[in-house]
Amino acid sequence: MAEYELPEDEVSTYGRASILFAAAVSLVVTAVLAWAAAGFDVFYEGLFRVGPTVEGGGVGSDWVAGNTMPALDFLIALIHAADVILGVFILFLVFVHWAAFRRLAAQMRPPGWTRSGTTPDAERTDGGEAE
Amino acid sequence: MTNLDHGKFTRMTTTFHSLLALDVFALFFTGYALMFNDHLWWLLVLMGGNVGVVAVHRLAGLGLIALVVFWMVMMLITDTGRSNFREIVPTREDVDAFVQDVKFMLGRADERHPNARQFAGYESDEVPLLSYVGKGVVFIFAIELTLLVVSGLLIWSKSGLMQYFATRTAAMAFVVFHGLLGIIMLMGVMFHIFEHGFHPAFYPLETKAFIPRRMIPESHADDADADGTGIEELSLASSWNKVANLMGVLVVIGITSVMTASIVDEGYPVPRELHLEGSPFDLLLTIGINVGIFVLFVGLVLSLYGNVVRRRWERQLREEREGPAATDGGDVSSAED
Ligand code: HEM
Ligand code: HEM
Repeated sequence: MAEYELPEDEVSTYGRASILFAAAVSLVVTAVLAWAAAGFDVFYEGLFRVGPTVEGGGVGSDWVAGNTMPALDFLIALIHAADVILGVFILFLVFVHWAAFRRLAAQMRPPGWTRSGTTPDAERTDGGEAE
Repeated sequence: MTNLDHGKFTRMTTTFHSLLALDVFALFFTGYALMFNDHLWWLLVLMGGNVGVVAVHRLAGLGLIALVVFWMVMMLITDTGRSNFREIVPTREDVDAFVQDVKFMLGRADERHPNARQFAGYESDEVPLLSYVGKGVVFIFAIELTLLVVSGLLIWSKSGLMQYFATRTAAMAFVVFHGLLGIIMLMGVMFHIFEHGFHPAFYPLETKAFIPRRMIPESHADDADADGTGIEELSLASSWNKVANLMGVLVVIGITSVMTASIVDEGYPVPRELHLEGSPFDLLLTIGINVGIFVLFVGLVLSLYGNVVRRRWERQLREEREGPAATDGGDVSSAED
């Protein structure tokens, strides 16, 4: 697109591989240091959101044990079903779009296409080409 | 020629969309760090432990209430808002568009239906404000957010809840219900990110939700009589293939994992089944859920990037208008804002 030259074009730049390498090293070093700072332990925080002596239940018991409301049980079963049904449908939509995007991409000019020499019409491959 | 043929959201809507996304991401990160804490312990720790997370979740919850109420009021009191109700009613065309999309996937249709089209090109007049997916998104997100606000508030006011639910465990079951409700939203947003970040013509971001329509030229004189969408005039970015495939894989893994985890991890306060810590299945699930969180993070970054693009676009428009030879891109027949 840019017919003119930007100053950046002349300046030497860092290679992509070295940037990725440096990023990877720094991530690993940071993670190790954080691990060391935590005393070589896995950082884990137990959740204490509910007293261990739940009425009608106890440690290790489930909400089902103390639940006196069948309606709630039903509600949760219902929402489980909704999660799975909609989840599968959403997955299907992802696949439909993924495939559609690939077909659309095949209709576009391939990367690195230039106007010079070829007319766009001769160049067009009409959707046939996929990788 | 431009690929910004989609200026249909007003400035209010674009701003609202960005704030909504920020707030919902905050609710996702905090809410699921609680629900999936055995897979996302690092996230919980990063956000200040359970005390911090619960506090942030409630704060973001208040933010969501404010946003939802604001939106409902806007839709009711403004003409533009009321006219939107007509735009979201599903029609026969939307069903056709879905069927045609499936055919397009299978290679049995040559193009996508106008009601499915994200890239409208020359034919932008045929394309409705919202695609069939867009309408579905509006419905599902509206219902979900309303239910989440109601159930969230009920959990919050524990004393209020006690009046309705006899035991504390019953109240806890309600928290489970609230979390499970959000799963639909979580999966939907992952798809939403894929749909609007990785369309080949828009990659890496569809700007429709970020650049207000008042700032988009309404027509391109030279294309007026052209046929088709003109997508074959655009060049594909060289990284698209790799990146879109990678994101596709990550989105599928993320959705599958949170869906599975919503079933096996539902227990509150302790899982229904004994946890097989460190089993291969558990490890896979942990990886998968973290992949899902990564997808959300990509979405957060894209949403912020959308605002950077808008700023640049604004600056460019201003420069063109002030510059001597300006006229072309700057003339915008403004719609309501
Ligand atoms: C997109 C919207 C939302 C999502 C995805 C979401 C998700 C979640 C999740 C996953 C949990 C943890 C459930 C569990 O531990 O099993 C939770 C807990 C909770 N949420 Fe939300 N939520 C949302 C909106 C709200 C709103 C609007 C409010 C209130 C105004 C709210 C208030 C709460 C409260 C009070 C808890 C209980 C925290 C505790 O354990 O003390 N949430 N939410
Ligand atoms: C939790 C976060 C988000 C929520 C709740 C949300 C919600 C919505 C809703 C309700 C719509 C209108 C319906 C539709 O057209 O699909 C919409 C449209 C849109 N969103 Fe989002 N969004 C979120 C995040 C994002 C992100 C991260 C991106 C960028 C990748 C994005 C890009 C778009 C675009 C481009 C549209 C316009 C689609 C069209 O109508 O053609 N959104 N969003």
